Amino acid sequence: MTSRVQSRGPVMRAFLRIKEDLWLQGVAVSTLTVALAIMGVYLALCFNLYQASSRLLSGPSLTLVLDNRIEPDEAAGLSAQLVRMPQIRGARFVGRDEALERFRGQLGPHANLLDDLRDNPLPNALELVLAPEHEATDELIALLGNQAGVIEVVTSRPWLHRLEAAITSAGDLALALGLLLFLGVILVVSNTVRLSVHVRREQLELMALVGASAGYMRRPFLVEAMLQGVAAALLASLLIWLLFAMLAAPASLPLGLNLEQVVSFPALLPLVLIILAIVAGLLGGFLGVGRTLRQRRLL
Amino acid sequence: MIRLEGVTKKYLGRPDAALKDINLLVPPGEFVYLTGPSGAGKTTLLRLLFGAELPTSGRVLVGGTDLGRLPPRKLPLLRRRLGVVFQDFRLLPQQSVFENVALSLHVAGVRDAALVRRVLEVLAQVKLLEQSDVPAGTLSGGEQQRVALARALAPSPGLILADEPTGNLDPDNALMIMRMLVGDYVGGATVLVATHDPTLLSLVKGAKVIHLSSGRLEERS
Ligand SMILES: Nc1ncnc2c1ncn2[C@@H]1O[C@H](COP(=O)(O)OP(=O)(O)OP(=O)(O)O)[C@@H](O)[C@H]1O
Ligand SMILES: [Mg+2]
Repeated sequence: MTSRVQSRGPVMRAFLRIKEDLWLQGVAVSTLTVALAIMGVYLALCFNLYQASSRLLSGPSLTLVLDNRIEPDEAAGLSAQLVRMPQIRGARFVGRDEALERFRGQLGPHANLLDDLRDNPLPNALELVLAPEHEATDELIALLGNQAGVIEVVTSRPWLHRLEAAITSAGDLALALGLLLFLGVILVVSNTVRLSVHVRREQLELMALVGASAGYMRRPFLVEAMLQGVAAALLASLLIWLLFAMLAAPASLPLGLNLEQVVSFPALLPLVLIILAIVAGLLGGFLGVGRTLRQRRLL
Repeated sequence: MIRLEGVTKKYLGRPDAALKDINLLVPPGEFVYLTGPSGAGKTTLLRLLFGAELPTSGRVLVGGTDLGRLPPRKLPLLRRRLGVVFQDFRLLPQQSVFENVALSLHVAGVRDAALVRRVLEVLAQVKLLEQSDVPAGTLSGGEQQRVALARALAPSPGLILADEPTGNLDPDNALMIMRMLVGDYVGGATVLVATHDPTLLSLVKGAKVIHLSSGRLEERS
């Protein structure tokens, strides 16, 4: 009988409290879920856009358009020769048939536009990836242009440079916005904790009266806020997953704009949200309990 | 031991002081009645003693500790050495009698077997062993006040402060509570009972009576 009360740590006390007023838990978890879902969508979009852009940036930095009369083995020889240059990390031959296939894939549902073509308008090409520390300088471009069989050197360098700069400055903005969102989550937590302190004011008064330290009174609130955070993080992950699954349903958009890439669900998102929720639970808990637990104020 | 030196307490926004230049010495183990009409300052004096209020001027010493200089984080340690009983019991009504009493031990770090043993001991003392698993809110007024008393007694405090402890009770229960506030029950603690009920005064032989009137003190015996 009475032995069941023997040792109650803050976790046990938090659990007992959660049982006491389920509506309060409902309010806390649902508001926190919404806040975390917004945060999560934002993080997922940032992550996916970053991935997409780095895929672009690490793609071939130079394309050599080849004469159609060049045989595949001649192209292979040229590519082997180019790879030996220190500026060039890799080279890949893309035959005109492969190029057309790729284009067809990028058109997605509109691929039938190509059915009317009588012959393949695309050239053979050699895609080069530069070594990281090297730039597509004018000398390099001139050198490549002079190779036998090369008709044209296509470089997206200026455009990629601009993209890279844009990504860097967007990164700062994204970080600032992310911090702002996180601050919002902390405020949500601190407000629900404040509500929960208010609801339990009488209990707290009693505890202070019999000599409970501020830490003794605060700890269950922190544990409770963290538990609510974990529950809300899991719910928010589920919501985001459902949302993304719905948005990604029309498999692809024309011209290689694949929405699925942007709204794909990052596998680590639930974990990240749980960690953020726990941190927010601690910080928000401290903020929310705040000065109300001052000994003299309580009595 | 309690010592008040020139204590004045003014509440914010009140022109008149609730306590005016109080000097008082209560030796250890003494039983003291604090009497006086409504508004005389009895509750205020008790609140000063458990650190719920600070004196506007003067010094309040409990067991040698100057409460005016005690940092708030040390206040819990002081409160664990004293027990407080109110007119309105102040229990956690949904929790069991056992848990209500255990609270004052648990906050002080008492756990497991030591906690159970002590709670059952004080529950036996106030004759509530049978009801230990009952939610405190379902008990009668007299029983609830005994739970509150058990909670105050559990940590074996050196000082017990009771503010109108019998105010909500019928004469029989009032008598029972008063008997439990003296002698072996409180283990030699100093006891201060605030009341405006003069019929209580005859219940404890040899008690000191302190009379407050508009915040001023008159000692009688
Ligand atoms: N928190 C407060 N703020 C302002 N004034 C207060 C406060 N508490 C008490 N007072 C005032 O201080 C004076 C003394 O009040 P106190 O409660 O100490 O009297 P009391 O002797 O306990 O009265 P009662 O017998 O009715 O309980 C009263 O004038 C009261 O209005
Ligand atoms: Mg009073």
